[in-house]
Amino acid sequence: MITYLFNGFEFLFTTMAAPALFGGVVLGIILGVLPGLTATMGIALLIPLTYYVSPSVGLSMLIGIFAGGIYGGSVSAILLKTPGTPAAGATLLDGYPMAQNGYAGKAIAIATIASAIGGLIGALILSFLAPQIAKIAVRFGPPEYVLLGIYGLTMISYVSGKSLVKGLFAGCIGLLISTFGIDPITSVPRFTFGTLNLLTGFELLPILIGIFAMSQAIEGVRDSREVTPPQIKLTRVGISVKEFLRILPHIVKSAFIGTFVGAVPGTGTDIAAFLSYGEAKRSSKHPEEFGNGSIEGVAAPEAGNNACVNGAMIPMFTLGIPGEAATAVILGGLMVLGLQPGPLLFTDKPEIIYTVFASTITSNIFMIVLGLLGARFFAKVLSLPKSVIVSFIFVFSVLGAYSMRNSMFDIIIMMTAGLLGYIFSVLDYPVPPVLLGVILGPLVESNLGRTLLVSDGNLMIFFKRPISIFFILIILSTIVSNIYKHYKSKRVLQ
Amino acid sequence: MRKIIVLLVVMAMVIPTVFAQGAAESAEKFPSKPIKLIVPWSAGGGTDAIARALAKSGEKHLGVPVVVENKPGGTGAMGLGETVKAAADGYTLAVLPVELSFLKDQGIYPFDFSNFTRIMNLNTDPSALTVKTDAPWNTLAEFVDYARANPGKIKIGHSGTGMLWHLAAATLALETNTQYTYVPFNGAADAIASVLGKNIDAVTVSGAEVSAQVRAGEMKILAVFGERRMEIFPDTPTAREQGFEVVVNTFRGLGGPAGIPEDRVAILHEGFKKMMEEPEFVKVIGNMGLGIDYRNTTDYYKLTDDTAKTLEPVLASLLEIK
Repeated sequence: MITYLFNGFEFLFTTMAAPALFGGVVLGIILGVLPGLTATMGIALLIPLTYYVSPSVGLSMLIGIFAGGIYGGSVSAILLKTPGTPAAGATLLDGYPMAQNGYAGKAIAIATIASAIGGLIGALILSFLAPQIAKIAVRFGPPEYVLLGIYGLTMISYVSGKSLVKGLFAGCIGLLISTFGIDPITSVPRFTFGTLNLLTGFELLPILIGIFAMSQAIEGVRDSREVTPPQIKLTRVGISVKEFLRILPHIVKSAFIGTFVGAVPGTGTDIAAFLSYGEAKRSSKHPEEFGNGSIEGVAAPEAGNNACVNGAMIPMFTLGIPGEAATAVILGGLMVLGLQPGPLLFTDKPEIIYTVFASTITSNIFMIVLGLLGARFFAKVLSLPKSVIVSFIFVFSVLGAYSMRNSMFDIIIMMTAGLLGYIFSVLDYPVPPVLLGVILGPLVESNLGRTLLVSDGNLMIFFKRPISIFFILIILSTIVSNIYKHYKSKRVLQ
Repeated sequence: MRKIIVLLVVMAMVIPTVFAQGAAESAEKFPSKPIKLIVPWSAGGGTDAIARALAKSGEKHLGVPVVVENKPGGTGAMGLGETVKAAADGYTLAVLPVELSFLKDQGIYPFDFSNFTRIMNLNTDPSALTVKTDAPWNTLAEFVDYARANPGKIKIGHSGTGMLWHLAAATLALETNTQYTYVPFNGAADAIASVLGKNIDAVTVSGAEVSAQVRAGEMKILAVFGERRMEIFPDTPTAREQGFEVVVNTFRGLGGPAGIPEDRVAILHEGFKKMMEEPEFVKVIGNMGLGIDYRNTTDYYKLTDDTAKTLEPVLASLLEIK
């Protein structure tokens, strides 16, 4: 197997595959940086191009776009609080405060390093353990998804800021938003108000852009009377060895979380990022820094979402089942090329699989080079006058919301979400729990319906399966430890 | 605060003008400008692949480019809604999904095939009853016998309540007078994964969608719900061969808003028929495991009308259970 992998590398660097991969990473980063243009979209639009080259070369390019796109989303999240892709939704929680404190370059460097190491670990797991992981991943049934979603919702306690009650309220708003559209089990249209636009509910990206980017742009307009805009000084880009050692354990842990979330069909990079963020905050020695520019808070979600990219390819190659949205598109592209992903691809065309594995490993190395070279350049954006930045955010928010599905309606949704986010910030309500509700609501709801269908309405099914019992235990321990910490901090205050 | 309001008002005024389209009318010769082909799903799916493979040779056979435009959302309703509203001049076409046969009755689509000018059929794919390889059944009869002895015990996964693969399972239930528990999934792939993980027993999604698993020996097809056997699985019998009248196919066709003049329909039919015969198109569709099924305008009208008629009692049986 190692020989195959070496052959993969050999092919990669002796053909057009390596340049294609490099080009893919560059393009992916650009797509990722621009809000509204996602890796998924880039892959879908470039698949026809791959017809004209050999499958391995085409695939290398697609993998480059995927990895670069998920990483690139973090750059705009850190600099402008405008998540380029949903996966960067967790990165901005600490990345943006870091940039505002003058550490934009460092934040991007950390995101780059974490993305690359996380992605690399994910790629190694993909290369060596794919069939074994896939066997565990299919054991993940509807009950496990319900509990994974509920576990994700307990993250609300980590992203609520000062007031848990306000956080829970925000989380409920998010869950409410997620109930719009056709019921996932009965197919009854809900809250559609007779418009086709709402038939399948709200798109995630317009809401995400609205509550983070647009709301902040509105604030920028409000504060524009300030005579001298606060200039943000750029500090050193690099990170110290001490800092690296501090984030490394979180990167490794997040990489495992991300890979597994990716390997399970039906969950994606956004969920991986938030779970990694929550776990980092839970286990950090400095939880109080989270939300105010913690380096761990930037590293964990970035490692998680880039590991997820590789994890998502595990079921795609081994079972022919996509791990998340972008891999679903790659899968379609593979079939057009005449390659049917699935158990047989390993035996029929090992050379293609191993070129892909070599590409995933190499893409992370390209990413670290490009990211570190670009960090200083990217960070310069913040030295522009604030009025210019705010105008840019307006334009990108509108374009980003529209380009998702060429819909004017999504611009209205984005603007409404922007107003909601603005009201939240004025009243000092946390926004991230809204996002968790929107992302996880459908996962929990649809799978709870499925669980009850599968078990003939018997809730005991949750206590009969090993993986689900494991989840119940960690959910309980998260809740109990949070209550305990809360209680203790109150005692200290008194 | 005033600034914010002014800003919002200005944006509200500016944005629509950016996207407003000039109402340009065409000359006498048809076609004389690019034809827009709406795909009511996102880029990257099966329908999208068919449309793009077709559009490639548009210039060659129609003299004008065919431009594919993805309009996803609302399980196809967004793109179809835009098609219905477009001018019936033959310059706006869409890939019409099978859902137009039955989603209006369920209150999900506000339109059905009667709101469209139908040009031709492009592809059909049969549903296939597929189970895990180690499942105790080897024929459709064994499966049905077990279901008869254990009503509601077999769990069949499909890709959405009221969608075609659900109706396929329900057709089997109605035809054989058996009961199943239907479990809706967010797409065929998730349903297949759930069979592999033994959370459910069977799927009734398309034969193309399960082909990777079947070839790898992970799953087996008990019956193909098509009129004839599938080319990729010549040894797998149809339900009809096994004595059960269960025929459920998905199909994708070409059409536009109602009222396209007949002479233009004829020109489009002629052009797209040639585009379907291009070796490149045949190869791409074959690679995807999809079945090419050309039917002319008359036959396509018949296919859509017949499908709606056969599914009527099935839908009624489902509504009864609700």
